[in-house]
Amino acid sequence: MRHSLSLGLALVCGFALGAGSTGAADPAPLTVFAASDLTFALKEIAPHFEKATGARVTMVFGSTGNFAHQIRQGGPADVFFAADQSFVDALIAEGVALRETRTLYAQGRIVLVTARAFGAKLTELRGLLDPRVRHIAIANPAHAPYGRAAEQALRKAGLWEALRPKLVFGENIRHALQFVQTGAVEAGIVARSVTDVPEVDWVPIDAAMHAPLDQAAVVVRRSARPELGLAFIQFVNGPEGRPIMKRYGFLLPGEF
Amino acid sequence: MDFFPIWLSLRVALSATALTLLTGVPIAWVLARKRFLGRNALEAVVVLPLVLPPTVLGYYLLVAIGYRGPVGRALASIGLELAFTPGAAVLAACVGSIALVIKSAQAGFESVDAQLEQAARTLGRSEWSVFWSVTLPLAWRSVLAGTVLAFCRALGEFGITLMVAGNIPGRTQTLPLAIYDRVQANQMGEANALALVAVGIVVVLLFGLSRLARLRY
Repeated sequence: MRHSLSLGLALVCGFALGAGSTGAADPAPLTVFAASDLTFALKEIAPHFEKATGARVTMVFGSTGNFAHQIRQGGPADVFFAADQSFVDALIAEGVALRETRTLYAQGRIVLVTARAFGAKLTELRGLLDPRVRHIAIANPAHAPYGRAAEQALRKAGLWEALRPKLVFGENIRHALQFVQTGAVEAGIVARSVTDVPEVDWVPIDAAMHAPLDQAAVVVRRSARPELGLAFIQFVNGPEGRPIMKRYGFLLPGEF
Repeated sequence: MDFFPIWLSLRVALSATALTLLTGVPIAWVLARKRFLGRNALEAVVVLPLVLPPTVLGYYLLVAIGYRGPVGRALASIGLELAFTPGAAVLAACVGSIALVIKSAQAGFESVDAQLEQAARTLGRSEWSVFWSVTLPLAWRSVLAGTVLAFCRALGEFGITLMVAGNIPGRTQTLPLAIYDRVQANQMGEANALALVAVGIVVVLLFGLSRLARLRY
């Protein structure tokens, strides 16, 4: 009993020690931390960049706020694409990101989405008052830039107080959209860039309804290859990246 | 399908289970058999990871092991970096699951009749020998049950891992993170396939073990 237990433990430990060496074989890829509203657009752009430069790119998508925390603590990002420029500016002010690489790459747009399962397609914010719309999904306005824009738009339309009991908060913009995609939530306000999914219909919301969603990217100071990181940002902003970004509904530098 | 997350998760969960056994069983024994100042505090600390939201716990851990944190700096001085490595995923899985080993093993040790241990001592056995020849053989089912729960929890660990290891494909993206990532990217087919693998691993494990040990949950 005792011996077989020790043997088992020793085996497991040996197996475990190997875990540290996982995937350290070839030169590390360029690691890009990007806000979740970029999920579809950057997934499409990255392979073009890889083909053009021969470099490999690892894309990590998630919450802008989380990424900012992680980069402060040494998170292995070479480049950070934030959904809101304020996070980039905070990292620059703290000396964690390189000021000279700060680039405005897009302005985000918000749209009103309706679940196809709902039957009718909402065309204006007032439609959310319809009692058949029982829940409305937005990203959490406390920390998600698109959630904040959704709140501003609803306030400007004078609907915030009336609609508040119906609001459901997603952790990020993709999460908010998933509520609608499943049909559990009838409508929502999310980023235009993630709405190309079969389960929803959408109409744009006037950009004047909210503060501009200026999105900036920056190279992280600890990056071993800042030039390649900057090249990636410029690629997204360049002739190959721009048409793709545009297709996902971003306003591009020079257009706003 | 990308098999890396499955492979990584198995290694991380096994490593974490081994580590939680090595540290959790002695802690459980101390809690079951010793009365000392701060024992109640230790009991509370042990279950804390079950109470705190994983992402919050992950944030605290990251502040500690990040390159500016106290633990991170100490590790850096000996040339180690833990945050955002598979090792950080192991740490996350340990923190998330150790309470399950400790509480199960503690209950097991407490159910062992102290008179039997006393009898072994009067026969000249050392404390070490008493543990291995009396306490553990009588309590091993509880220890094993806790270990299995801990392994399952380690395999499914999400929130702490997301913070301290990141969600880096091909490096620290474990099975649960990969499933989440596929859902985020609207790749439901692959997400479902990976979820099925996770369920499969656990079903096979639980079935096998209960056959092996005739365990009852």
